[in-house]
Amino acid sequence: MLTSGRSAERPSSELKEYTVPVPARRPLAAVAAAGLLSFGLVACGSGGDDAGDPGKPGDKTITVYSGRNETLVKPLLDRFSEQTGITVKTRYATTAQLAAQLVEEGDNSPADAFFAQDAGALGAVAKRGMFAPLPAADLEKVPQTFRSRTGQWVGVSARSRVLAYNADTVPAAELPRSVFELTDPKWKGKIGLAPTNASFQAFVTAIRVQHGDQKAKDFLAGLKANEPQIRDNNVKIVEDVDNGTIPVGLVNHYYLGEVAKEKGTTPDGLKVKLHFFPGGDTGALVNVAGVGVLKRSAEDPDTKAFVDFLLNPESQRYFAEQTFEYPVVTGVAAPAGVPPLADLDTPDIDLNDLDTLDVTIKMITESGLVP
Amino acid sequence: MTTTTPEAGPARIGPARFGVRGWARRLAPRPALLAASTAAVAVALIPLVYLAVRTAEAGVGRLGAQLWTGRVGLLAARSLGLAAVVTTACVVLGVATAWLVTRTDLPGRRFFAVLAALPLAVPTYIAAFAWVSTVDRLEGFWPAALVLTLCSYPYVFLPVAAALKGADPAQEEVSRSLGRGGWRTFTDVTLRQIRPATAAGALLVALYVLADFGAVSILRTDTFTRAIFVAFDLGFDRTGALVLSSVLVALTVLLLAGETATRRRGARYARLGGARRPAARLRLGPAHWPALAALLAVAALALGVPAVSLARRLLSGVSRPGALAEVAAAAGNSLGLSLAGAALTMLLALPLGLLTARAPGPLATALDRLAYLAHALPGVVIGLSLIFFGITVARPLYQTSWLLALAYATLFLPLAVAAVAGAAGQAPPGLEEVARSLGRGPLAVLRTVTLPLTLPGIGAGAALVFLTGMKELPATLLLRPTGTDTLATELWTATSVGAYAAAAPYAALLVAISALPTWWLVARGGLLDKEDR
Amino acid sequence: MSEVVLAGVGKRYGPVTALDGVDLTVPAGALTAVLGPSGCGKTTLLRCLAGFERLDAGTIRVDGREVAGPGRHLPAHRRRIAVVPQEGALFPHLSVAANIAYGLDRAARRGDRVDEVLALVGLAGYGDRMPHQLSGGQQQRVAVARALAPRPSLVLLDEPFSALDAGLRAGLRHDIREALRTDGATAVLVTHDQGEALSVADRVAVLRSGRVVQADSPTALYREPADEWVAGFVGDAVLLPAVASGDTARTPLGTLPIIGAAHGPVTVLVRPEQLRLTAAAGGAAVTATVLRHDFHGHDALVALRLADGTRVTARIWDEADPVPVGAEVGVHVDGRARAWPAAPNPTPVPTPALPVG
Repeated sequence: MLTSGRSAERPSSELKEYTVPVPARRPLAAVAAAGLLSFGLVACGSGGDDAGDPGKPGDKTITVYSGRNETLVKPLLDRFSEQTGITVKTRYATTAQLAAQLVEEGDNSPADAFFAQDAGALGAVAKRGMFAPLPAADLEKVPQTFRSRTGQWVGVSARSRVLAYNADTVPAAELPRSVFELTDPKWKGKIGLAPTNASFQAFVTAIRVQHGDQKAKDFLAGLKANEPQIRDNNVKIVEDVDNGTIPVGLVNHYYLGEVAKEKGTTPDGLKVKLHFFPGGDTGALVNVAGVGVLKRSAEDPDTKAFVDFLLNPESQRYFAEQTFEYPVVTGVAAPAGVPPLADLDTPDIDLNDLDTLDVTIKMITESGLVP
Repeated sequence: MTTTTPEAGPARIGPARFGVRGWARRLAPRPALLAASTAAVAVALIPLVYLAVRTAEAGVGRLGAQLWTGRVGLLAARSLGLAAVVTTACVVLGVATAWLVTRTDLPGRRFFAVLAALPLAVPTYIAAFAWVSTVDRLEGFWPAALVLTLCSYPYVFLPVAAALKGADPAQEEVSRSLGRGGWRTFTDVTLRQIRPATAAGALLVALYVLADFGAVSILRTDTFTRAIFVAFDLGFDRTGALVLSSVLVALTVLLLAGETATRRRGARYARLGGARRPAARLRLGPAHWPALAALLAVAALALGVPAVSLARRLLSGVSRPGALAEVAAAAGNSLGLSLAGAALTMLLALPLGLLTARAPGPLATALDRLAYLAHALPGVVIGLSLIFFGITVARPLYQTSWLLALAYATLFLPLAVAAVAGAAGQAPPGLEEVARSLGRGPLAVLRTVTLPLTLPGIGAGAALVFLTGMKELPATLLLRPTGTDTLATELWTATSVGAYAAAAPYAALLVAISALPTWWLVARGGLLDKEDR
Repeated sequence: MSEVVLAGVGKRYGPVTALDGVDLTVPAGALTAVLGPSGCGKTTLLRCLAGFERLDAGTIRVDGREVAGPGRHLPAHRRRIAVVPQEGALFPHLSVAANIAYGLDRAARRGDRVDEVLALVGLAGYGDRMPHQLSGGQQQRVAVARALAPRPSLVLLDEPFSALDAGLRAGLRHDIREALRTDGATAVLVTHDQGEALSVADRVAVLRSGRVVQADSPTALYREPADEWVAGFVGDAVLLPAVASGDTARTPLGTLPIIGAAHGPVTVLVRPEQLRLTAAAGGAAVTATVLRHDFHGHDALVALRLADGTRVTARIWDEADPVPVGAEVGVHVDGRARAWPAAPNPTPVPTPALPVG
């Protein structure tokens, strides 16, 4: 229709003259043929077409749904394949979309493992009974607070909630001692937030667990009243804090590393700095990215090898060095430039207690911080 | 010999002579075409079936609680408002540009015709991102409206330019000879001649705006589609998101009803046959300076801003894209998937387009309208619905390229149907009758006459579906074969960790590849032809 | 060569009756014209014959085989009835040769049938041209060749000359008639042009309001039209009230011999060319006053007022100076007149209207 107007009527029989679009050239057919051909190449060449098949146990191939970004984890997965000879087929998308996809697929999911950006998504899938319990050997490598109480998922790297601030515009002395101080009118229009981000939601749930629902509600109302700068994700907040658009922002600590990488510098070279809330404040909640194994693959040695691999010291060092996250296995050093996990004055919260996400969502929605 | 007189003739024929079969034929001419069209529409309706199933799961109580809120009303109002503003702006911009390049002696008009179509190749997320990184603190309704207008006015420009190019100049000449001035002839005759094309383009723009996520999320305007995405992100609330999606379907129905109404009135002005003679070009005189300036300004905003921004990102960042092989693989995958999507979409669109053109009637109209229903649904809903379809019905297709191609077909079927119907409507049906009278069966006639004559429309539809498929992200993320990266998904991967420099080559390649079918669409509309006068 | 027989053919579009019981026999190997004014149903008849429309009543037989009838509708492509549409409708994407070969099967396409029919329509050597490279007349010739190529049972021509210049028309008409005849085709020509029908066809069927009023040879149709309406439709007619007694009738033009026999009040038909004018009044001739004189080149029409006030028209060959307006002339009638019983409310005679002052 873009060329002719869709309502061109059929010419009446009285019409003596008419024009017919004369197809002057044949290349169109050639293009179509080439298209189908190259499509066949995509379909066959990428090996993608059998991706829908759930692999058999021990076939040296696993399918991983990764809510973690390809840029961050692909080198690690490549290393896994190199070391074990197991091919990893990885599906990258947002953690939320993959969780929805897994739930939609149900027992027919071709996935062997779900590598998620945060514990909440793992909990949502676990709640549907889709994960198989992990071997005790793997679970025991990780502190109790960073894994599922029923052993359905395990954290593989940790991140702390922080207040990112622009060192030029906010003197260190003025930084809040507690995250709750951010509702003070002096921060009006100065706070960056990503309320659709799962880490923010986990943090709100933590407030509810630690201080009760009313306090959480009041906090959200206070934030809203302070006209925060809403961003889609943490990267954008950190960038805007760095360039001075926003004075402070609630984010996870490791985004500083990503922004520094793009700018070709180290976290030290940025204007944006990290403030870890002291004194066990909820604002210093430590959350994890983790992995769960789908029931179908409970006995699959390749999938087990994958979980083992994520928790081995070498991989843990990768997280510390490449993604600026905290290793969760004891004995592996923290990333450079941030205080070790043990030195953080983290709030006393078990991630397993953060499973009442729906109430939090309702609260965030009602607060008006999200559309 | 047989000299009959009225008195001696056989009994008069009354309605009683129409048997049941006669009525069935009247209601459903061309049964094969109808069956194929129904199948095509059924595919387009998969997402709606899925929505119905999930919404029913939610239950009436939840439905009411979730939908009957001021927030939903506000979102609906804002979505419709944005659609109204952008559509109006696109119609003004599209019609004005089309008129300037087809009906005036503007210098460089062929160049401007290409410039006016090229924004089709720029995904809204790239354009919005470019704007945000060019102008500080750009966010909200009006910036979103600006970016969406700049990205989608070609949807109006292309069909209107083609209609202006082909419109019969005799009507305008008659109008002038009857004493109407240039401006009144334009408003009273020309605008009416191109009304069907304008309405069709406007509908596409409105649906495009309803379904857009890229621009509104980057420019932080809370529309329905953004709310649906947020609902998915918030606690993985699938049902809530889907319940919200059903409102989008309702809004789509509203828009379709509006367009159908204009179309019914506009049909009377449709051009019959073609003009052998191009319209006389208006001499702009000194007025060509402001016209040139305006077109250049629009092109600078729509194309220059993204181009400069991409270049800057490419130069300033240090992250680097993967090896050339990876970029090439992503480009190959994008190309293959989009071509497959275009091929499948055209296959489904062909019977429906032919039915609309050859056997118009309430049934054909109903099928055509139904094909639009899923068009305004966000890609993530289409994606989930086809996951549902793949897992429960078409297991062997699941996570293959074919299911993704099917998703593109579901999303973009209306674009293709409209193109096919337009071309088929221009080919006189007499040709097919002659072919049949020469002893060729329906299939042979389709192959030897109808298809060759509809080929330009098929090409235009395929080009449009192809370039829209290249830009599609959410459904691609959910449905692509595991391990298959496309330009759009690589772009998403890079930008979500802030690796803008790494993203830039993918963005540039995406725009460059999409520009080719856009160019072809312009050429196909006759906008690049050398004029005879 | 096939005989085509239509019996009681009816077709309605909603409340409009297009064909109201058409009976017609198309003889094999001949060209039959279906002649009628706009809206008489002739195009519908053609579409029903071709199989583009389903009948609501009646039957159509080709060589005794029923192709349409109650509960039967042989689709167009199985009827072997080829159509030449008004506008030619050549396939724009195919060359002339490919257009002509379109209806041929694979084997016949390799033969020389294409060249044969091209030569037949006088376009030998045009096979490689594309339709848009041809003139309108050439396009029509190709359309006829295309229809003839597969040797169909019947060729239907739908006003194939109406879109052409008058000058071209006569020549093309003749050539196409010759081509049809040489090829031995059975053909039906649908037209509203009575001159075309009478000059080309072997038989002419006059269609009015969805019915065949008369079907006859061109001469019989012209000389002995079934009623006054037909008389006026197929040519200029001088219709006069008269009183018949046996084989003569008393008319304002004198007592004339009539075809057949009649008694009492009648309407008689005299063709203008039967009227002969003499220079002076006298003898047995009826006298008239010249009202107007229309010169046509090959002949002239003279409008006259008879002594009793009746107006008539004479067609004369003007050998010398035109008869001056207002002159008194004598009027003679050659040949016989056609007479019908006078109807109380005669059907209004259609165009071409009598050019009577």
